[in-house]
Amino acid sequence: MDGLFNNLGFGLEALEHLDALFGYAMALTRDLTEAEDLVQETYLRATTASHRPDPDSNLKGWLFVIMRNAWLNQVRHKNNGPRFVELETGEQAVDETHENPHVVYLRKLEREQVREAIESLPAAYREIVVLRDIEGFTYQEIATVLDCPAGTVMSRLGRARGQLRKLLSGWQTRARIRAV
Amino acid sequence: MRNCDDIRGRLTLYLDNELQGDERGMVEAHLSECESCAAVFKRELNFLKTIRESGPLHVASPALRNRVKQILKVSPREEQRRGFRFQWLVATAAGLLVLLLPVLVWRIVRQKEPAPVSQVCGFAMMAVETHLRHIRGQLPLETESARPQDISAWFANKVNFSVKLPNYQESSGQEKLYTLEGARLVYYENQYAAYVAYRMADRPISLVITSDSTAKPSGGEEIASKGLKFHYNAIDGLKVITWSDRGLTYALVSDLEERGQQSCIVCHAGTKDQDFIEPLKPH
Repeated sequence: MDGLFNNLGFGLEALEHLDALFGYAMALTRDLTEAEDLVQETYLRATTASHRPDPDSNLKGWLFVIMRNAWLNQVRHKNNGPRFVELETGEQAVDETHENPHVVYLRKLEREQVREAIESLPAAYREIVVLRDIEGFTYQEIATVLDCPAGTVMSRLGRARGQLRKLLSGWQTRARIRAV
Repeated sequence: MRNCDDIRGRLTLYLDNELQGDERGMVEAHLSECESCAAVFKRELNFLKTIRESGPLHVASPALRNRVKQILKVSPREEQRRGFRFQWLVATAAGLLVLLLPVLVWRIVRQKEPAPVSQVCGFAMMAVETHLRHIRGQLPLETESARPQDISAWFANKVNFSVKLPNYQESSGQEKLYTLEGARLVYYENQYAAYVAYRMADRPISLVITSDSTAKPSGGEEIASKGLKFHYNAIDGLKVITWSDRGLTYALVSDLEERGQQSCIVCHAGTKDQDFIEPLKPH
């Protein structure tokens, strides 16, 4: 009975992290189909794992570790290294209307620019920004997911944000020029 | 005091909540005194806020969600059951916050001789200090949302206890009297405590939460109601209530002085809380 209860509890808890895992899968693969496959692979591995984390421990971190290992495995099998798809320029959000108030429009534009900037980062930088700034993992949790020292997390995150800042500053300057 | 270069080298760590104890306090102390570093801090904070508010970058499609549910063997019925459980938690926790507002206000009206500061517990003092620093702009929120579930989720894995914020107004159908603004981590007794900012009629209200093994309410005037013991204090012109319940200790800070009685009436009109506030009324 306990086992059944734990299984049900685990399933519901694990399901809560679906969007976060899908976001991470997109950061890793940059491909919708591959990301969806990776998410399913992650959950399959999680359900068949011999040791699951305790209910009070970091289930989300554990799932992210599984996902990254699954992805690394896939990359090794393909034997062609991680594939980095270039940023698809010109891709716009769907509901971009001109009736919106100016401020709302600018905010929306800003969010889209940030998303594009994150998407255009090199894989390692994109991954660490997603883990820290989108998913809110601590340095130590990121170190566990990436299987690297916390010091590496710190320095890589610094470089990633530096590049992101440059990208955003360039885009914002161009946006201001366009606005004028 | 450390020099500016030293502090700026730690700003990223501070903004990422990776500093602890004295180091965290040292950065905060410097920022409160150095305008130049405070400006750099604000710029960095805004930059990170912009990035963090851009998420989520992607959302799983309903088709993927269904496939994952099959993998996890989660049925719609189980999901629904979980929803009920969450609502129960929200309703229970909700009572705590809203119940405290009228208690606080009533005490504000009644309290003529505040307890000496020496009798006040350290946690209450920290809560008041945190409240003041937040108002002064020295402790910006790390996450902003008016949705209790967002804030509760943000605290997951950041503090070593579970934070379930109430959504009392929504569940009771009452007029919206206060708004949730956001949250951040604060440091107390060598570990993180949860700081939650509310606003009621343009006046700030702070709620600080830690585990009851870290802080025990004490001092001030004690009022017992429904098995809970509340400690009321007035510190630096602010009113603070501390109490423990179910493994957590809370401190609620506010300056709701003039509007207190009004809030009391409005909050509890038509609710089931009359038996709770009855023992607290002056006789």
